[in-house]
Amino acid sequence: MNVKTISIALTVLVVALLATLLMQKSGYVSQATEHYEKTTTKSYKGASQIVEYVNNSIETNKGVWALACEAVQSVKTSQDQARLEAKYFPSTKGSMSIANLTRRFEATGAYYIVSKFSKVEVDKKTEVKSLAGLVSVNVNALVGNPGEEIAEEEEGEEGAEEAVEEAPAPKKAAKPVKAAKGKKGKKGKKR
Amino acid sequence: MDKKKFKILMIVDIVLIIGIFALMMVLKGQYNDQAQKSVNEQVGAYLEQSNGVVQDQWKSVDQYGMAWRLVYATLTNVKTEAAFDAAVKAIEEDKDARFKQLSYMYEAAGIPAQAQNSIYEKAGLADKFLLKNEGGVKEVACGKNCVITFTFAKGKLKSSDYKALAGYNMAENFKLEAPAAFHFE
Repeated sequence: MNVKTISIALTVLVVALLATLLMQKSGYVSQATEHYEKTTTKSYKGASQIVEYVNNSIETNKGVWALACEAVQSVKTSQDQARLEAKYFPSTKGSMSIANLTRRFEATGAYYIVSKFSKVEVDKKTEVKSLAGLVSVNVNALVGNPGEEIAEEEEGEEGAEEAVEEAPAPKKAAKPVKAAKGKKGKKGKKR
Repeated sequence: MDKKKFKILMIVDIVLIIGIFALMMVLKGQYNDQAQKSVNEQVGAYLEQSNGVVQDQWKSVDQYGMAWRLVYATLTNVKTEAAFDAAVKAIEEDKDARFKQLSYMYEAAGIPAQAQNSIYEKAGLADKFLLKNEGGVKEVACGKNCVITFTFAKGKLKSSDYKALAGYNMAENFKLEAPAAFHFE
């Protein structure tokens, strides 16, 4: 009786062990799959994000470069530039500084150009002022030197104010910095 | 069954239990090694693929940035072949300016400096810019699958064709595939 019970119990144990043996591999497979998925998903998310963000950023950068390159070839007045801006960025408008003879187009905080003109023109009928005689298009912000562009603008503004003040009186007040801050940047409005 | 047969069954069971147990121990080690090897191989292959896309894109953006500088220079002041060749050389050799422009674009895209440096350490900068220079026709790389052409006649600029750059779709050229399902081999 005793031998019978033990042998039956052992047979059951053999069956159980065989079942465990067969399931052993799937345990390792699921563990390995979990580790693989965790690692590759992390890499996929990180790399896809970089690729996507750069693709999007380049799309804007490309538009501003194309605008700058077309501007140096065809723009004569600030209205011409406004038309080009509308062509490349229909929802963003540039800003004009009559005092500095510049028109600044800012697609994003990082990507912008500043066009310098040589004179101000006034429409006789409407008395609306515009800029004419494109001198240059500053693309420093597109080549990674936005600071240089700002310094240049400040110098330009100081120069302009000095020229204005030269004739009436020899007062060279310490205004320029303030004026420069007021007129510069941040006008590339996004509608 | 009589007692004798149960005894035989018991002995067979004991032998089987010992055998199966030993087999389990052997397979455990084998499966473990196999799983680690498979995971390492497949994870490594995917990381190589995903990092490869990021690094290729980095080098493409470098070419793209250089190409725009060249186009702009050509439109504004470079009008002769000699000046063009000098501009190509100057742009390509000024690696600090290239990195600065590249890094600025990545920063604008929201990619932190640390990530940029790790891409740069592996990828470096693009090693090709001027692709072809024959009979006054110059082909310049402006990214993956992007080529712009400048034509000179008698040493003077005849035409600049940068349509490929102005219409370059980087998203079409850089896409990352999702990882494939894991195979236990």
